[in-house]
Amino acid sequence: MASPSSADDLFDNLLKTDAKRLEEEERIAREKERDHAAKAQQRLKELIVDNSTLPVTISSIRLIGAEKTRRSFLDTLFNPILSANRNRPYTLSEALQEVGSATDKLRRFDIFHDGVSMFVDKPSPTDPSSTPTDIDIYIKATERGRIALKTGTDLGNTEGSAYGNLLWRNIFGGAESFNFNASAGTRTRSAYHGVFDMPISSDPDKRLQVDAVSSATLKPWANHEEVLKGAGAKYGWATNSGTKHSVGYTQTWRQITSLGPNASATVRAEAGDSVKSAISHTWIADRRNHPFIPTDGYLMKTVSEIAGWGPLRGDVAFWKSEMESSKSFAIPIPGIEGDSGVSFTTGFRAGMLYPLPVGFGSTSQPSRINDRFQLGGPTDVRGFKLGGLGPRDGPDAVGGDVFAAGSANLLFPVPRVGKDTPLRFQVFGNAGRLLALKDKGGNVQKSVYSTVAQLADGAPSLSAGVGLVYAHPVARFELNFSLPVVVRTGEEARKGFQFGVGINFLG
Amino acid sequence: MFNGNLSPVNSSFIAMPPTIPTDKREEETAVPPTSFSRQTNKVRDFFSIPAPIKTLFDLVPVLVYPPNGLPQRAPKPARIPTLYVFSKKEDAATGKPSFNPGCLKWQAFLNIAGINHRLAASNNHASPTGVLPFLLPGASSSNASPDALPIPSSKLVKYAAEHGAHVKEPLNMRYEAYKSLLDHRIRHAWLYTLYLEPLNFNAVAYPLYVSSISTSPFVRASISHQLRAAAEAELLKNSSIIDIDDLYSEADKAFEALSILLGDDPWFFGCDRPTLFDASIFAYTHLLLDDGMEWKEKKLCRALRRRENLVQHRERLLVRYFGG
Repeated sequence: MASPSSADDLFDNLLKTDAKRLEEEERIAREKERDHAAKAQQRLKELIVDNSTLPVTISSIRLIGAEKTRRSFLDTLFNPILSANRNRPYTLSEALQEVGSATDKLRRFDIFHDGVSMFVDKPSPTDPSSTPTDIDIYIKATERGRIALKTGTDLGNTEGSAYGNLLWRNIFGGAESFNFNASAGTRTRSAYHGVFDMPISSDPDKRLQVDAVSSATLKPWANHEEVLKGAGAKYGWATNSGTKHSVGYTQTWRQITSLGPNASATVRAEAGDSVKSAISHTWIADRRNHPFIPTDGYLMKTVSEIAGWGPLRGDVAFWKSEMESSKSFAIPIPGIEGDSGVSFTTGFRAGMLYPLPVGFGSTSQPSRINDRFQLGGPTDVRGFKLGGLGPRDGPDAVGGDVFAAGSANLLFPVPRVGKDTPLRFQVFGNAGRLLALKDKGGNVQKSVYSTVAQLADGAPSLSAGVGLVYAHPVARFELNFSLPVVVRTGEEARKGFQFGVGINFLG
Repeated sequence: MFNGNLSPVNSSFIAMPPTIPTDKREEETAVPPTSFSRQTNKVRDFFSIPAPIKTLFDLVPVLVYPPNGLPQRAPKPARIPTLYVFSKKEDAATGKPSFNPGCLKWQAFLNIAGINHRLAASNNHASPTGVLPFLLPGASSSNASPDALPIPSSKLVKYAAEHGAHVKEPLNMRYEAYKSLLDHRIRHAWLYTLYLEPLNFNAVAYPLYVSSISTSPFVRASISHQLRAAAEAELLKNSSIIDIDDLYSEADKAFEALSILLGDDPWFFGCDRPTLFDASIFAYTHLLLDDGMEWKEKKLCRALRRRENLVQHRERLLVRYFGG
């Protein structure tokens, strides 16, 4: 029996909203829920383990929360794993794995919020159409907003820029997206880029892209501005072994304009318009364990392009091939157990431009400045200025048709900071050679051979140095002190400090 | 190279020490150091390279090879200056008259002035002013940088005078008036007949200014449109409508006035040698009389042909300064 006074207390207590207690209660409730979820998970795990070889048939898959996503798009994704479309029964674990991988694909389309969850249910045995092995799958997902707008400014990369970005997701309910980006800066005068991207047969690894670009970029190493207007289509896919391919066609109207007052005669001769109509292929095998400071694995990449030849037409014609590779090793240090944090990376890059006749003509077109390679700078051959290697006319890096560059970097942890931070010291040496094709009386083959042979003529231009590397999640930062060892007259080496930011470094 | 790099950064932290002129240094030692000069000295000390590093910098590069060869499209270096004009490649190589009156005027001027030069077939994108022609001085032995800057057409008279040419500007009160006849009436009729007269645009302007630029139909359409729009805008600057008959009759009157001005003299304003004015007249008369232009609508050509002395004036210049 409660005394009247204690009843009053209870009443008071009920009336009083004690924030602290509420919080406490909420916390307890949350914990309970978490416990409950964990237990449920555990039970499910046990259940699955216990029944992993249980034969099941997936009778239905239901996606909850996908109002804007097309049925046909989802059918392509889920139909193949429905038992009705398979001639072999599943075990429970197989079935869950299949559904799991389909859910994972769904996640990668970037049309749902994170936290796509899956439930398994048995249909009611009273349902006459069900068999005892039937299971139903329920997938719960929340669609992301259709339109995302983003604006911002970038400062730092010796250029300041402002950008605006529009992303329109799931346009036709099949994970099609349209991304429009506009930016203006000090070096990229202006750039507009629109991409329409769609997965093919509901596979996030098979994508078709159609894009259009319009931009104006300053090229201070050759005293001009390049204005581009182009459009193209690209198809990308991943192989079973994890390498990526993409094949595309682009047509670009290029304009070399707004020449600097010091522009050399070579750059002045390049001024004007040209149209490139080209098919290109890119292949990447990236098996490094880290994109910026790998300690194991390799990267291989090739880019091939054919422009202007045969039915492609346009104003320029060439075959252009470029390859890039890098390999990293962890170096064990005696006395240190396990990973020492010391690693060695070598990189090699080479490319060639082979002039071809435009269309069905017979005389090959010498290369133009916007098609030739540039070499040198803080992200490839360090210790040289941007475009600092290769043929130069006065102040201008006019580019070359054949190049090879290599580097060797030894990275080790910064003392006291340790190997688990993204900070490393490096000692490096890198070398490169960039050459223009010589005129061999119009014999292109001869001139390409002799130029390639010339790569090995004498020591390559070379520099060496030490520096600090910081692997930020989006880019690699380097501050190096380097000295040139071998140069060609006119090549712009840098003695002293050099700062580099990039996502793709040579070694 | 196009490899998806973020824009790489290239900046130096060690700058070469500013070289101080010797006389200034002496001045500094003479004046007792103020706190300011002490401070600036400190700043200078901070930025100058320490001696051991300077020695190291002087040691490298260890090996220097001769320069790399230039790409095939690079023009051969020449001692003589190059005049960048609208022209066909093969015509430029043989020094034939440019097909653009603005360029031909200065080409004729340089020929008259006796400035030895070569031609380069080019386009407006190459020009520092955005308009052809301009002159790029030849590779001098000293290779002094200010000498290598391009010379826009507006500075060519001065350039010619500095390089020992004797070109007189006619000193005549009426000179400006006649110049404006050319720069307005004849030029306007020229713009109309070349760009806006459909027959001539397709037969004359299109192959010279459009199809020579790119093989792409899209680029050609875009450039055609730009050219015609620019010509139209230029004509509409002076009047609210384009009156074709008026344009042609004004040009006809201008030819008449020039014909009377020339009279029986070999050169305008009674000079004993041709002047820049002769060159500017020649720029239009040559192109209107040249059969190679293949005019389809010849109203303007006929107006000129009626003035016998102007036709002879063109012949005279062509033979004397363009070798026929």
